[in-house]
Amino acid sequence: MAGSAEFFRMGARALREGLAAREFSAHEVAAASLARVRAVDGSVHAFLETTEQLAFKAADRVDAAVAAGELDACGPLAGVPVAFKDNMNLVGTHTTCSSRMLANYVSPYTATCVSRVIEAGGIPLGKLNMDEFAFGSSTETSAFGPTKNPWDLSRVPGGSSGGSAAAVAAGLAAVTLGSDTGGSIRQPGSFCGLVAVKPTYGVVSRYGVVAFGSSLDQVGPFARSVEDAAYALNALAGRDALDCTSQDVRCDFTENLAQGVRGMRVGVVPAFMEAQGLAPEVKAKVEEAAERLRGLGAELVEVDLPNAQAAMSAYYVLGPCEAFSNLTRFDSVRYGYCDPGHADLGGQYEASRAKGFGPEARRRIMLGSYLLSAGVYETYYYPAQQVRTLITQDYVRAFERVDCILAPVAPRTAFRFGEVSDPTEMYLSDMFTISINIAGNGGMSMPVGLGADTNLPVGVQLISPQFKDENMLRVAAALEAVYGPAPIAPLFCEGKTPEAPAAIPDAADAVPGVDLPGLATAGAPSAAPTKRVPHEPNSPVGCSRESGLSERPGAAEGAPAQVEKAGE
Amino acid sequence: MRKLEEVLKDWEAVIGLEIHAELTTLDTKMFCGCKLEFGAEPNTHTCPVCLGLPGALPVPNRAAIESIVLAGLATNCDIEKHSMFYRKTYMYPDMSKNFQTTQGPVAFCMRGHLDLDVDGPAAKERVDLDGLEVGESRGNVTRTADGYVAHVGITRIHMEEDAGKMVHVGGGEGRIAGATHSLVDYNRAGTPLTELVTEPDLRTPEEARLFMQKLRQIYLAIGISDCSMEEGSMRCDGNVSLRRRGSKEFGVKTELKNMNSFKNLHDGLAYEICRQAEVLEEGGQIYQETRHWDPSAKRTIVMRVKETADDYRLFPEPDLAPYNLTDEFIEGVRAKLPELPDQKADRFERDFGLSAYDARHLVEHRATAAFFEECMGLAGADAAKLAKPVANLVINDVTAWLNADAGARLEESPLTPARAVKLMRLVAEDAISSKQAKEVFAAVLDEDADPAAIVEARGMRQVSDAGAIEAVVDAVLAANPDKVEQYRGGKTGLIGFFVGQCMKQTRGQGNPKVINELLAKKLG
Repeated sequence: MAGSAEFFRMGARALREGLAAREFSAHEVAAASLARVRAVDGSVHAFLETTEQLAFKAADRVDAAVAAGELDACGPLAGVPVAFKDNMNLVGTHTTCSSRMLANYVSPYTATCVSRVIEAGGIPLGKLNMDEFAFGSSTETSAFGPTKNPWDLSRVPGGSSGGSAAAVAAGLAAVTLGSDTGGSIRQPGSFCGLVAVKPTYGVVSRYGVVAFGSSLDQVGPFARSVEDAAYALNALAGRDALDCTSQDVRCDFTENLAQGVRGMRVGVVPAFMEAQGLAPEVKAKVEEAAERLRGLGAELVEVDLPNAQAAMSAYYVLGPCEAFSNLTRFDSVRYGYCDPGHADLGGQYEASRAKGFGPEARRRIMLGSYLLSAGVYETYYYPAQQVRTLITQDYVRAFERVDCILAPVAPRTAFRFGEVSDPTEMYLSDMFTISINIAGNGGMSMPVGLGADTNLPVGVQLISPQFKDENMLRVAAALEAVYGPAPIAPLFCEGKTPEAPAAIPDAADAVPGVDLPGLATAGAPSAAPTKRVPHEPNSPVGCSRESGLSERPGAAEGAPAQVEKAGE
Repeated sequence: MRKLEEVLKDWEAVIGLEIHAELTTLDTKMFCGCKLEFGAEPNTHTCPVCLGLPGALPVPNRAAIESIVLAGLATNCDIEKHSMFYRKTYMYPDMSKNFQTTQGPVAFCMRGHLDLDVDGPAAKERVDLDGLEVGESRGNVTRTADGYVAHVGITRIHMEEDAGKMVHVGGGEGRIAGATHSLVDYNRAGTPLTELVTEPDLRTPEEARLFMQKLRQIYLAIGISDCSMEEGSMRCDGNVSLRRRGSKEFGVKTELKNMNSFKNLHDGLAYEICRQAEVLEEGGQIYQETRHWDPSAKRTIVMRVKETADDYRLFPEPDLAPYNLTDEFIEGVRAKLPELPDQKADRFERDFGLSAYDARHLVEHRATAAFFEECMGLAGADAAKLAKPVANLVINDVTAWLNADAGARLEESPLTPARAVKLMRLVAEDAISSKQAKEVFAAVLDEDADPAAIVEARGMRQVSDAGAIEAVVDAVLAANPDKVEQYRGGKTGLIGFFVGQCMKQTRGQGNPKVINELLAKKLG
């Protein structure tokens, strides 16, 4: 078996076998993984924070299980280095959503998806960069600076889960979690050449994941193999009493992986293939993948999604509406950035939100606020919901004829920093992924090699009927058998890995002594967190909470604001 | 300002109520597992959900949905099988998410009503009912022998969550104005809250008071809330506008807040009606605004002028699936519906031959109704005979005592149902007079003793012997020849004087019935 220098190449199966054979300990895996993050992440900037204490505690738990001969009880991710998008709460760590607004926010609780991965034996290395509040497709909107694409450091990793994708592509973690509201797992998965799964809405609990679009958000894994992604889904999936939109999904996602695609009906959407803006190299790769699947015995079937072209319009109504509402709580009063020196509450709200949120967040908040306002709501929100129903029906009808749909993920390969500056052009990055969030189906990106023109990773999208996510995994496994597992980006392979030490803050500096979720000391951290400074200097300082309150709208109590001439 | 009854002759008041009730009898909050407890240390019953922390999600409390459906069934509402929660956006520090989770156009309970029995002087405030015969209806009212019944529509009862509680400190005497800062206690945040909205069917402050009282009785009977108006677990806002008698168009309404007792509800509305009349009569204009009832100053004052309608950006709560209540669920709740106050009153009338008035007043409080029922059980074969006297004892003496002593609880008082029945038996058997009964009643409460023992100890036997009483009557008449003459001259009101004198002579033990008979005979 390989030495410790090889840990970063290993997937869940290799790690488990090594642990079982006692070739190495989980502690060694944790130490080597953390060391690699510190040595290498300076050039990628995938990590916002490491969680060294938690990593070693989790590793100790795995090692104890090995020592007791109970590795099987440890779960499917035993000893697997994992990391989480920074919109996922992990007690005692920062949860910043890559926003100045939450630069110093420390979670007092843990998201269900995070605790499930750690309970399944994952070794939490840290929290990962993202577009601010998941608004973006390039990770350029992060308040803490962009993440770079490990395949070409002058290019974006995609987004919003860019840090999650880059970490796996650079071999900094074997499995990471991202969230996908319109393509935020699949598009960076494609840009970084990874297996990246957005399960059916309801498969994974959203509890503890800072919401962007509550009816669209879904958590899923990035991995370098279909099997690792399936292991992660085994850990993640299932009903959570704390999220009433989560469903009772109990299945072994690894079960069908070896079955092949013979006899499967795979749908191809002609309108997608003819879409304006689809790069020829991407189109060629999708066609090639289709032919490979046909060669493996799948039947290709043309399917129609007549309303899918309206998905983008519906999404940019529903998404901002929900985002506006979900972000209303960031008001500077109880936590988050607070602009100092305001004598009135309204002024404090306004200034704190204006300075705490970046331009894209402000754009979506204003858009949502407008779309939900009286008189406008009926014109946009209502029709958008109707379009949503139509698109959902389109998929239901299509899946009466096929078991899985093959489509492009993103119209092109990774672009350069600053190359896409027009917001609308950026929104088009998600033109092939958005309708799946609208309908709630499962979708994933599967790497199929490099584009002929850019020599950068290209992913194809596989789409499942609702709650039949195993269908797309089965097709993905067949493609993997042809194209091979996702490689670590060449720059980060052994011998070439750039040494670029990163000064990443560690969560223990913020809140010492916090234990793993699910262990005895759950609850609010007691120590005061250290301040974190966002990318652009202008860090929040303490603020005055004196006076400045105006009357509560519709106030049921409190004193009158103004006394009128008394009656007799 | 003119008096209410004068104002109501010229103006018709149009009143609608919005009544909030916290579901205080539940164990946990509306969308999280935090404990519901009034008066706990601030911010001890909180979690990521009710604190609105990033990433937290709501999970609805099934028991709260059962409670509101129970409330709907008890107030004759249609139960909507398909309804959902909405987010109502407004930014204020007591609302941790800056939106309140509430319901949209369709609430769990829609289109209900309550019938109010209005009698006594308050019934006369409805001058528009003049000329109406008993049993005849006009609009939503029907004339009865002693007043009228008003049929008051309930628009809806919806489910929502309460906000946290704010305290303004550092000067300003607890008010925002002048305070240096504000503290928020999120223990109350997320408390299940029902809001009932009436149709604008109420016409007098007394009707509004009766509606609130009746709703409170119902909520207490079905056990969904402790309905404490002082502690704010039941709160009432009123919308009031005036229109000239005979006019069909609604006037501009004001919203009235801080009416945290039945008296404040009545007095606040009465003041506001008179204030609006004065403004209108002087050629002024009513502005749509929120006003605050100040009970100590006895006036309403402007809190907030509504220049434009609030834009709450209401939209369906994406974290909560739409409801699809099954018949099975609704019937399951219906099976838990206890006997409601109106049904109990009907039964008292039917089973014990009580008047509608007596029956209604007995059921005003669960304690008095239960007490009365227990008495009737103990009375056995005499139930029919003792029903009226026991009802009178409860409605008059017991109620007066309970009202006079805020801390008094009938269930724990020395007046047990057994003692009450014994007391009324003594009266029915002419052993003591009804006047003496009042003295015994007071003594039972003071001395925690049996009525028979009190009567015995005080030698309070009633004298019904006609011979003994005749001597007293004769003596009284002989001692007051001038009054006898006046009486015979037509001043028959003096009969009370003679009876009083006779009672005095018998030290209160003379049977008033016998005295009256003898006096009538001798003076006639």
